[in-house]
Amino acid sequence: MAAYETEVLIIGGGIAGTTIARELSKYKTDAMLVEKEMDFGQGITKSSSTIVNQGCNVVTFRPEYHNSRLVWAGMPLMEPLCKELQVPYKKIGSLTLFKNRAGMRRPNKLLSRFDEWSKKYLPHAKPLQLIDNDTLHNWEPNISKDFIGAVYDPNIAITDPVRLTIALAENAGQNGIGIMPDTKVLGIATGTEKFVVQTNKGTIKSRYIINAAGEYVVKIAREINADDFVLYPVKSYMAVLDKKVGNLLAHMVTSEEHGTVNPSVHGNLFFGISPGSQRLGKIHDHATDKIIADAALEHARKLVPAISKKDIINSWVGFIMYRNFEMGWHECSVGVSRWVPRFINASIGFPGICAAPAAAQEVIDLLAQEGLQLAQNPDFNPNRKAAPIFHELSDDEKRQLIASDRRYGQIICRCETVTEGEIVEAIKNGARSLDGVKFRCRPGMGRCQGGFCGPKVTRILARELGISPEEVTKKGDGSHYALYKSKELLEAE
Amino acid sequence: MNLQGMDIDVAVIGAGPAGMAAAIKAREKGAENVLIIERDTRLGGLLHQCIHNGFGLLYFGENLTGPEYSHRFTEKLLDTGARALLETMVLRISGEKEITAVNRRDGLFTIKPKSIVLAMGCRERSRGNINLHGTRPAGVLTAGTAQRLVNIEGFLPGKKIVILGTGDIGMIMARRLTLEGAEVKAAVEILPYAGGLIRNEVQCLHDFKIPVFLQHTVTKIYGEKRVRAVDIAALDANNNPIPETKRTIECDTLLLSVGLIPENELSTAAGIKLDPVTGGAVVNEARQTNVEGIFAGGNVLHVHDLVDNVSWESEIAGEYAARFAGGKKPPAGQITLKAGRNIRYVLPQIISGKNNVDLYLRVREPQKKVIIKMGGIQVGKTIPGVKPSSMIKLDLSAEDQQKFKRNEIVIDCLTKGD
Ligand SMILES: Cc1cc2nc3c(=O)[nH]c(=O)nc-3n(C[C@H](O)[C@H](O)[C@H](O)COP(=O)(O)OP(=O)(O)OC[C@H]3O[C@@H](n4cnc5c(N)ncnc54)[C@H](O)[C@@H]3O)c2cc1C
Ligand SMILES: Cc1cc2nc3c(=O)[nH]c(=O)nc-3n(C[C@H](O)[C@H](O)[C@H](O)COP(=O)(O)OP(=O)(O)OC[C@H]3O[C@@H](n4cnc5c(N)ncnc54)[C@H](O)[C@@H]3O)c2cc1C
Repeated sequence: MAAYETEVLIIGGGIAGTTIARELSKYKTDAMLVEKEMDFGQGITKSSSTIVNQGCNVVTFRPEYHNSRLVWAGMPLMEPLCKELQVPYKKIGSLTLFKNRAGMRRPNKLLSRFDEWSKKYLPHAKPLQLIDNDTLHNWEPNISKDFIGAVYDPNIAITDPVRLTIALAENAGQNGIGIMPDTKVLGIATGTEKFVVQTNKGTIKSRYIINAAGEYVVKIAREINADDFVLYPVKSYMAVLDKKVGNLLAHMVTSEEHGTVNPSVHGNLFFGISPGSQRLGKIHDHATDKIIADAALEHARKLVPAISKKDIINSWVGFIMYRNFEMGWHECSVGVSRWVPRFINASIGFPGICAAPAAAQEVIDLLAQEGLQLAQNPDFNPNRKAAPIFHELSDDEKRQLIASDRRYGQIICRCETVTEGEIVEAIKNGARSLDGVKFRCRPGMGRCQGGFCGPKVTRILARELGISPEEVTKKGDGSHYALYKSKELLEAE
Repeated sequence: MNLQGMDIDVAVIGAGPAGMAAAIKAREKGAENVLIIERDTRLGGLLHQCIHNGFGLLYFGENLTGPEYSHRFTEKLLDTGARALLETMVLRISGEKEITAVNRRDGLFTIKPKSIVLAMGCRERSRGNINLHGTRPAGVLTAGTAQRLVNIEGFLPGKKIVILGTGDIGMIMARRLTLEGAEVKAAVEILPYAGGLIRNEVQCLHDFKIPVFLQHTVTKIYGEKRVRAVDIAALDANNNPIPETKRTIECDTLLLSVGLIPENELSTAAGIKLDPVTGGAVVNEARQTNVEGIFAGGNVLHVHDLVDNVSWESEIAGEYAARFAGGKKPPAGQITLKAGRNIRYVLPQIISGKNNVDLYLRVREPQKKVIIKMGGIQVGKTIPGVKPSSMIKLDLSAEDQQKFKRNEIVIDCLTKGD
């Protein structure tokens, strides 16, 4: 087994860990990022509804809450970040819906509160607007006629959080951070000057540890008695609808009782039950069930009645890690452990996507405060070139791309129109499993969910990685796509 | 060949049994330049992976395997001088009948044929479509994907199998996997009867003693990385699982055989109107869609249970596409056909009232000793029994159609004597 030594070890390659790694790569440090899965962003990050939040969550915003401050501080950082890394980012605006006059009195309060707070925390934000019944149904003809008005927040955007996470990891790697997927932390001990971390890939000695293990933050912290906080995992459910109904909505729509429905950057619609209105989940149990799924569908249909069960192409659950669930408020846990110096917990809370960039900056400050020497990295390159996405190109660009590499003329995934060229590129950039390829360039994300392209992508992975097709997995060890060769069982008898 | 702007009479999209039959017929009926576009590496469509027999009993009067059936059409197609473009994906069809396609060799190109036959087949309903709950491990796949893995790719998905749904592909795979040495622990069906053909139920399930659970469903999937087990439970009258009947079955694979959906994304983008029940285009007796000059046949139009019917139906589309390319429009539709009692759908949905036509019907529920009435008038003889999985083919003569008094005719399936 290999042995590694480093100054800073980041545990967890979700949006939190990778933004921290990328922020750290702006400095001349010796740092590593380990992620237990085959690819990045496969934890809570992949379950999110992809919204770059704020604004309307004046409802939940409280300046005294750390998560709120991070989210608002992170908002203006998101668009430039996505630009640098060539990750989709789209401003769609949100509509918080109201059913009656009584409900409409609240928005006025929200508006004035937003004005007051945004001056301090979000100086560049556009103001919220009250939208009347006619405008509302003119903008969004498919929302339920039960709603008579809304608060419009023009600042809300959407992104692809998994692509962003992968891009962050790639960019951090290019700028000198050691990036290690498929590396699981098994135990942590205190050494004389450094922590000694056991992983499936060997021992890593590190002076600082940043614990960004998402759902497993408490478990990791407990390894070394740094769990001076409690997290409440709240199970949330999400479903994605076929692109053919993707144009039912242009904005994100939400109401206090009925959760959220929103477009995705890829043209689908997402719906889910909003956090807080949910029960606590049994942690690490990622099963969906009929009760939560039926409830979510019913709520979504209250917002957009045309949503139909038959257009659901996939669904999943994810855990929202609350600090203080009983109070009904969001809170996160980003800070140096009170009990273990040089050990920083980074559980970013909900919403987390746009909290991450600000949290990363704070973590850098905490490292400095704990004694890490930080000199600027003169070679830092903020830009990462994204692989071409065939179906988003114009016909002329498509022709040029195919002329440059014939593999872009071979369609592998029919539902999402993904070419062999894109899949090969994804593997070149680090995809090692079917899910890795899927989250990078989308084969299997569409309406047939990989029924058609699964065998083909398996062959391409095997060919490019130089392994046999039975060795190809969906998401790492133990998740093989096909278990045996034909006739293998007969020969065994 | 130089594809961009090539002069084409009839372009056929998809080279399964439907596309091949249409292309052959189009050539026979005088279309000069017939081009068939197929995304796979060879002609034949889904038939390559259907290595079992039962094909061609009606069309050839012989019992053939899928590849054999396909081979007969391939030979004939090449003889007719139609051109085939393989490994080429059609990306778009416009309402003006412009086809944009892509392949490695020619890149992206556009052609504008005089007429088009859609023959893109169908795809399987997947896990998300049926809201199956539990975890999301490897090992949940559609029966057709498993068929491809075993019969073409040379892999076995697993060795302890549960199958949800008793569609034909599911039943055929139950037999195949048993023969390959896997154990099929259960075939689970929501309905009170098996979904597919009776011959498959007998030859694939009963003959191999596969445990069948009717009026049951899978309620939960276990396993983080790979399927570990599933829960199944009986259903009450409202199709809700009865908790006391829940049992857990250990398995490493769950196959889904829960229905096929015609592959019509290209069609809707071209402005073609779909029938919400069939999932395919609304067509007249010439198999012409609402877009003039665009025809359709085979599983893209409605899901057939016998490939023989796929071939026959697509020949109609091919013939009229050739005529259209030669300047002759199909007879105008006069009469709209509507599904009535115990009829799920009828195809074609529109007829002219002037020609003999074959109607394809599907019922909603099994029924014994039935007669079919159209606009109150009996058509055809008494049928001993009908089942949703078996399509009914009905000859409707021009004379019969003369008797229709309205331009909307309701079709009912009634028990004889009622
Ligand atoms: C249903 C749902 C919807 C949401 N929607 C939104 C939204 O629209 N907008 C928004 O801003 N936020 C949203 N959130 C919140 C947001 O997704 C999270 O705040 C964020 O993704 C958390 O990121 P993370 O990096 O902390 O955790 P994760 O993404 O879970 O990353 C932690 C990583 O650590 C790895 N790890 C764990 N243990 C180990 C170990 N022992 N060794 C090595 N690696 C390990 C995990 O595999 C994982 O990849 C949503 C959350 C949920 C559940
Ligand atoms: C997975 C699966 C397994 C099946 N197994 C059986 C079985 O065991 N027994 C049985 O009797 N029936 C089976 N069927 C039903 C089968 O579809 C029909 O029996 C028959 O093959 C239908 O003929 P078709 O020509 O309409 O469609 P297909 O045979 O599916 O042919 C359609 C062709 O169109 C091509 N195509 C589609 N879109 C495009 C595009 N955009 N550009 C270019 N080419 C395109 C496809 O590659 C395909 O070759 C199965 C169906 C599926 C989906």
